[in-house]
Amino acid sequence: MAEILQYIPGDGIFHRLHPVTKILFIIIVSVVTILTSSISLLAGLLLLIFLLAYAGHLLRPVIQQMVLILLMSIVIYLITILTVQDGAVIGYLIPSFIPLIGGSIPITIGALTVGTVLTLRFAILISAFQLFVISTQPRDLVHTMERARVPVDYTLMFIIALRFIPTLQIEGKRIHEAQLARGYHSGDGFMGRIRSVAPVMVPLVSNSLSRATLLGLTIDLRGYRTRARTRLRERTFGIADKVAIPLMCLAGIAFLYGFLTSSLL
Amino acid sequence: MITLENVSYAYPRADREAVSEITLTLRRGECVLVTGHSGSGKTTLCLAAAGILEHEYGGKKTGRVTVDGKDVREYHDLTDISTRVGILFDDPDSQLLFTTVEEEVLSAIERRGFSVAEVEERLAQVLAVTGLEELKDRPPHALSGGQKQRVVLATTLALGTDILILDEPTSELDEQGTESIVRLLEEFKAQGKAILIVEQKFTKLASLVDRIVVLENGRIRNEGPPATVLQDEIARRTLIPDFSGIRTRSPAVNGSAPMVCTRGLTFSYGEEEALSGVDLSIAQGEFVAIVGENGSGKTTLVKHFIGLLRPNKGTVTVDGKDAAKAPIAELAHSVGLVFQNPDHMFFADSVFDEVAFGVDNLGIPGREQAVMDALATVRLTAARDLYPRWLSRGERQRLAIACVLAMQPAVLILDEPTTGLDGSESREILEILKQLQEKGHTIIMITHSREIAGQCADRVIHMEAGRIADDVRAEAAHG
Repeated sequence: MAEILQYIPGDGIFHRLHPVTKILFIIIVSVVTILTSSISLLAGLLLLIFLLAYAGHLLRPVIQQMVLILLMSIVIYLITILTVQDGAVIGYLIPSFIPLIGGSIPITIGALTVGTVLTLRFAILISAFQLFVISTQPRDLVHTMERARVPVDYTLMFIIALRFIPTLQIEGKRIHEAQLARGYHSGDGFMGRIRSVAPVMVPLVSNSLSRATLLGLTIDLRGYRTRARTRLRERTFGIADKVAIPLMCLAGIAFLYGFLTSSLL
Repeated sequence: MITLENVSYAYPRADREAVSEITLTLRRGECVLVTGHSGSGKTTLCLAAAGILEHEYGGKKTGRVTVDGKDVREYHDLTDISTRVGILFDDPDSQLLFTTVEEEVLSAIERRGFSVAEVEERLAQVLAVTGLEELKDRPPHALSGGQKQRVVLATTLALGTDILILDEPTSELDEQGTESIVRLLEEFKAQGKAILIVEQKFTKLASLVDRIVVLENGRIRNEGPPATVLQDEIARRTLIPDFSGIRTRSPAVNGSAPMVCTRGLTFSYGEEEALSGVDLSIAQGEFVAIVGENGSGKTTLVKHFIGLLRPNKGTVTVDGKDAAKAPIAELAHSVGLVFQNPDHMFFADSVFDEVAFGVDNLGIPGREQAVMDALATVRLTAARDLYPRWLSRGERQRLAIACVLAMQPAVLILDEPTTGLDGSESREILEILKQLQEKGHTIIMITHSREIAGQCADRVIHMEAGRIADDVRAEAAHG
């Protein structure tokens, strides 16, 4: 089973970067992605992320994640087609040869443009975040967040949320198998999925809640809330960081300058 | 090093005490084994002895606990106590927070005020003694149950505390794994450490244990050196499982078509081959035990019998159905699979509804009767209206069997049905299985315990690295 958002050991360029550099990368990419509506700029950014993933030997997991984004894009396009009526009509969601209702719900250029922009934005934000998480050891993340004076409770919440994604995945699968063995057929389609919620979700949530107490005790027993850490195996800024940080800042400033001047015009 | 004086405790909103009037002393260089039925208060006793109840839990407490001569209330917090006491809880998954084994162990020692060199030295040492060096870069959550237990043990040992409280540290380990942990604990004991251990496997721990405490309904029923405690009949049955008399007849092998049959069954998880060309034939009414070390392919094999896994190569036939192709729902009419952890299946509000779930799914006629018959077989008739998760582990295991049994399958498969159960609870489960065999069911049981396999089953199949290494009929298995 493919695991979502889990650290993948490796020695690519992304693994060697300092977590602070990677966080800066996410911030700049997010700002650009949210501010711009230019499809070509967004497509360029996505391509850049793919190239970085390729250089960091992490292209495969990033591409695997794209399947989810493609599924999401279908929903996005549907919503934009239903809500945005702008520009030339290039077709109809319900083809005109269908009697009575045929020819309703027009698909406009504007709707497709908005749909594409939104899809690209999601794809960029998700893959940039994914690239960061799968190339950074949780321990380094904790240390970086500590240095940034993020309260330890928030840091632990973040780490535990990431850590328990695969546990929930594995446990969910086991529970599903246990219920299948009891003759349970979750059914197909949307309603089938809805009906399958209780037999899988109730054990999953109950087991997770009962686990939470021990998890809290473990954190306390390891001294996470109170004690200062022995500073060993600290990440230091390397040459790659020293090159990447100014470059990213320059690119960010250049974009902001372009964005502000063009919108001022 | 730890004393409990007249300790009683009731959890918040509980109507009875989880432990009552416990008085106990743990001395330097001593190992005390705590045992008893599931739900008898063993884990609560561990939490009390470690001072955790005092610092983290509400509820009603009386009595006094000291650790290293100091009242637990005088310790600042759990971190403070943890410099004196290493504690391991029974669920390894709740104690694994990081994504590599090395990070996990480091997390236990990097906030203790040690120098960098000291942390590195302890890390290397503990990885070596627990045999985790090769696994140090692996994600803990992806390891087997036994390996996870070793990682959690490593985090507990890394601190080097003189007191260890271990709640079922070997429950998911195979015999080899258990032996290596026992050897390790023997060394620690010789160094003067005090060990309080909750375990069901007394026979495996006999060389380690100085005193035994048997709990019953939260009270100490017996306490003393093993020789004294074992004189009590009930305590002996709890500690030393006795499975004699469960196998009453020679295996009935008749000439009819086999109930379960595999030919050249091969299966891989990705690149990793889990089963290689397994040929197996099980007759109707046989009681078969499948044994083997962790990761030898036992569970993978039985999942093929109900269609949860489909072979890459080879054939699987169950009750005349092609299990490589038939839908799971159809195979569930013939095969019932009880998973290792009963908590993976319970979701209903009452025991009755839980059992009725499978009956309804398969549309079995006479719903009420089918459910009540199954509950009667597992001796849970009186619990029909209770909430399943309130039952003890032993009762939940029996309920899990009832859930599957009510679906009236010809073949009943059980994955480690005695995990976490004491000797008498284990015997109860095996007696139920025997009864079912007598009614004509075919029983297939996965177990770590060669004792159970050898004494109860008509036939013992030993798996090794995805193959059947040995297949022995009862008489030979016995010797």
